[in-house]
Amino acid sequence: MATVFIPTSLRSLSGGVRSIQANASNVREVIDHLEEHFPGMRDRLCENGELRKGIAVAVDSRVCSHGLLEKISPDSEVHFVPGVSGG
Amino acid sequence: MSELPELSDEERSRYAWQMWTPDIGEEGQRRLKAASVLVSRLGGVGGTVAYYLAAAGVGKLVLAHAGNVKPSDLNRQLLMTTNWLGNPRIESATRRLKELNPHTEIVPVAENISSENADRLVSQVDLVVDAAPLFSERYAMNEACVRSRKPLVESAMYDFSAQLTTIIPGRTPCLSCIYPDDPANWKREFPVFGAVSGTVASLAAVEVIKLVTGVGTPLTGQMLWMNLREMDNRKLPIERRSDCPVCGSVDAEPSTDSNLG
Repeated sequence: MATVFIPTSLRSLSGGVRSIQANASNVREVIDHLEEHFPGMRDRLCENGELRKGIAVAVDSRVCSHGLLEKISPDSEVHFVPGVSGG
Repeated sequence: MSELPELSDEERSRYAWQMWTPDIGEEGQRRLKAASVLVSRLGGVGGTVAYYLAAAGVGKLVLAHAGNVKPSDLNRQLLMTTNWLGNPRIESATRRLKELNPHTEIVPVAENISSENADRLVSQVDLVVDAAPLFSERYAMNEACVRSRKPLVESAMYDFSAQLTTIIPGRTPCLSCIYPDDPANWKREFPVFGAVSGTVASLAAVEVIKLVTGVGTPLTGQMLWMNLREMDNRKLPIERRSDCPVCGSVDAEPSTDSNLG
């Protein structure tokens, strides 16, 4: 199963859980899995049925451009990388 | 940088330890002296970037930051001092930098970056460091740098996390390629320790030094993503978007002998 890492800014929804295993074939299914375990996560990651434009997703350490359709392998690592602007 | 300025004996003495760095030497130091850098905001990130660039002997710093020093600035904004509370931040920053290195020319601008002033300020420098806390400022700076083909070091943080990438317009992804729109829920005020903002600031200053001197490999086409809570730091490859409204139609210009583009 893929390992999904939860960004710091969303860990209030996961009760502090940093990562979770997910049986998923693409990013959309990863988010479905997150929502199932941590309600509210989908709204933070998606808008109008798409990945929010202020959030990047990295699969196996590569920032992807296919959004929710990006493919996931059973041994993939998935990171959601929200844009930050703190200066 | 065809005609590099000479160094005085005092400057050779001041910069001796960094000139010992392999591949830097006197020519690298002269490149730093010839360089000009715009730093957007002088907070926990930008102020520390400016401090290290002045210490390194960058010849000219154009510094943009509005407003007056507040007590809540002082946990991280190292160019702001307690005795300057209530007075303009840009004055405190200028004074501190001139105390550190009187050789660096400081061009103080008591404004934050906007679409109205970005092109004018970018035109005065060789490259830019963005450390602004609002995405509207960052997008304005990104667009101005792409228009003028100036390198942009993007440095940002939140909580214990930080992001850094070096943008070379036409060759690497720009900010809008990575984040086409600002994240929902981003707030002007954010959790920050000075040690965290200072960490990414130090790395941003290193990027500038590499770009100016041509030494090392700049962090282009990758985002350094740092999770300092767990000390889990990764370099994530990032790609240009052909449909990017900011840089999608911009072609690369020929490379030069430095990392500046």
